[in-house]
This record gives sequence, structure tokens and C-alpha cells, in this order.
Amino acid sequence: MAKKADQTASFMVRFNQIIFEEDGESKVQWRGKVSHVQGGEDQSFSDFNDAVKFIQERLADLTIEATKDKSPELQDSLLKKSFSLWKTMAKEGPKVIMETIKDPRKQVAHLQDQISDFGEDLMDKVPIDQWRNASRSDFNSIKDSISQLADEMKKLNAKVDAISKPVKTSRAPKTTKKATTPKKK
Amino acid sequence: MSHLQDKLQELKQFQEDAIIRIQTLGQFNLWRANDKVDSKQWGRDKTVQLLQYLISNRQRHALHKEKIMDHLWEDGDDRDFKVALHGVNKVLEPERPSRTEPSYVIRQGVSYQLDLEKIWIDVEALEQYVIIGNEAFGEDAVVSKAAYKAAIALYQGVYLPNRVFEDWSSEEREKIQILILGAYVILAEILLNENPLESIRLAQCAIAIDKTWEDAYRLQMQAYIIKGNRPQAIKAYQKCADVLDLEYGIDPLPATKKLLKEIENLH
Repeated sequence: MAKKADQTASFMVRFNQIIFEEDGESKVQWRGKVSHVQGGEDQSFSDFNDAVKFIQERLADLTIEATKDKSPELQDSLLKKSFSLWKTMAKEGPKVIMETIKDPRKQVAHLQDQISDFGEDLMDKVPIDQWRNASRSDFNSIKDSISQLADEMKKLNAKVDAISKPVKTSRAPKTTKKATTPKKK
Repeated sequence: MSHLQDKLQELKQFQEDAIIRIQTLGQFNLWRANDKVDSKQWGRDKTVQLLQYLISNRQRHALHKEKIMDHLWEDGDDRDFKVALHGVNKVLEPERPSRTEPSYVIRQGVSYQLDLEKIWIDVEALEQYVIIGNEAFGEDAVVSKAAYKAAIALYQGVYLPNRVFEDWSSEEREKIQILILGAYVILAEILLNENPLESIRLAQCAIAIDKTWEDAYRLQMQAYIIKGNRPQAIKAYQKCADVLDLEYGIDPLPATKKLLKEIENLH
């Protein structure tokens, strides 16, 4: 079991508020710095998500360090349970979304690289190869499927209509017959 | 003599008169009646840590023993705490007769705190000087300047540099950094016309602590212009713009850009 101190990460976050006028409009800007006490590293940020990302990366490192003597399987499992996904998401999350919108194919390849950093196990669980061309081919196949489905629906409706008509016509004369027969009698 | 000037004088006098004086900025030292306490007298590192912890939390009155132990020991027990406390008292008052109450570490039940009336500590004095400087700012330029200068003179470096990885020390370190950044920038501003070279130096000290401190770059630009050094003023702007771009991905503030334009329009 790692020492208590090795299981602790402290962060100091400094926010510096700047209010200024620009183009006749009052604006506010936040400039910040986040420091990891035990590691001594720090990072400036103007978007708080970057500070969160910094913290999450340090926390993931803490898990890696604390489990380095464990079996690879256990370490893998602990990492997955605790911070590895956080780390991936925090590191690439916002960028992934923006870049996926801009260039889906390239971004999927990039995401694959990120996941491969965590080893084969995670790669096995994330069948990203199957998603690679999702943006284009899957869209076409869905479109084709919908067209086929629509055609089938039309055919089916036509069949239903075709089935319905004889039933109605056969019943009507019967009724007429039944109605008329007594009169004739 | 103004009230603030009296306070300033009292603080300076206390630094001279105090039997126990402690330096925490840049390095850790303790003087007892003008004699520096050497490492042999300290003995264990935990003794030093306990005193440093009490200094870091000096404004939180009455620190509970359990809380202190929780921060300083992995699995410490009462005995560890007693040994360290005994070490602290021994360093502060080696001649204290046994079974008498310590003078510098005040005990209330199981809570402890330093007697700030008797111990001079650089960080405490620095904070008091900055308070006087701020209070006098705009009212008494002489006192304000003297107070900021006294605060800056005490800043010999980062708070407890050998404890930067201990979380119990980081709050105080951060507080002092912000106080000293403010003192550098305000004094640089006060001295701008009177002594632009000193303003440039003070602004540089602020930048050395935090390279993204934009006010400091703006002061340097102004000071260089007063000195008639236009290229250096533009260089200071460029440095500011580069750092802000690198660290935050942002442009300098409109005020800084406006100042650059004014400088560029100078002939």
C-alpha cells in the first residue's frame, strides 16, 4: 500500500480577474494558474477546462504511480476504474468534439492513437476501426436502408390494399344477397 | 507623526528588539537573541517542520493537536508530537525552567499557536508592511513608499523553499507571492517619474515571480519611454505579447496595445 502522502495531490489555483473596456464595451477576462503542490509543476490557463485537464492528468499519474507494483491486469483495471478515461476525456475531450466536427475521419484516427496509448486491452474494448468511416459510409448505408424500408412499406401497403379490397367486395354481394333473397322469396 | 507612520516605526522597532526572529523567505533561519540557531540545536527535522507549520498557520488561532499531527505525520502518535513540540520549545527557550509554561508557543488545552507579539517573523512583518503601504497609498506617499520598500526588502525569495512540495505550506506561499507582486507593481508605479530605472527593476522582479503579470510589462514600457528608450519599450511590449500568447493564447489588454500605439507614434 502506498503511503498516505503518495496518495495525495494538492492543487493551488490562482484566478486573476481583469475588467477592461474594448470597443466601448465592458469586458471581463480571467487569467489563472494552477499548481500541483507535490510535483511542483504549474500551468497558466484562460479557460478553466484547461485547469481541470491539468488536475485530471496529475490524478491519473497518481493512480499509475500507486499501482506500478501491481500486476498489469490489476493496474489496468484500476486505471480504467479511476482516471484513465478521465485523462483521455480531459486531455482530448473538447478538442475531439471540435475537430470531429471539422474533420471526422482525421479525428477518429487521432482518437485511435490516443486510445492505443493505454494499451491493447482498451483497444479491444473500443472497436474504433469499425467507426473510422462512420461519417460517410454509415450515413449512405443508413440512407439506403431507409430507402429500402420505404419501398418495402409501399409494397406492403399495396399488398394490404390488395388483400382488403376482395374481402370488402365479397362481403357486400353476400349482404346484398341476404337482403335481397327474402324479398324475392 | 501620522498613525500609519507610528505603526511603521513600531514594526521596524519590533524587528530590532524581538528576542526570537525568524526568516522564512528564501531560506529558513532562526535567531535567538541575535544568535543564529544551527542545525545541531534543531535536532530532528520534525521539530523544524512543526515550527514551520505553526508559522504557516499563525493566523488561525489555536491549532488542534490532532490536526497538526494529521498534516505532519503519516502515522504519528502523541509521543511524536510531544517530542517535536519539546524540540521547538527547547530551541525557542533553552533556559526555561521545567514545569513552567512556554512563552512563545501558547497552549490552550490541546490547541497551540505562536505568540506573534513576541516572535518576529518575516512573512508576518511583510504582510503588515503591505497593509500599511496600502492604507497610506494616495494619502501619505512617503509612508506608503517606505512601507512597500520595507516589505520588498524582506522578500528574499519564495516562502520556505525546502517545503514547496508540502501542501500545508502552499497557502502561505501563494498569499505572500500575491502580496509581493502587488507591492512590486504599486511601488514601481509610485516611482515611475521619480526613478524610472527602479520602476523597471521592480517590474522585472514582478515578472520573475509571474511572467504573465501584464501590469508589470506596461510599467516597464512607460518607464522606458520616460528614459527615452523607445526600442526597449517596444521590446517590453513584444515580450508581453509573446508570453501571453504562449501561456494563454490571448492578446495583451487594450490598455497595453494603446500604450504601444502611443509609443509607436512618438517621434
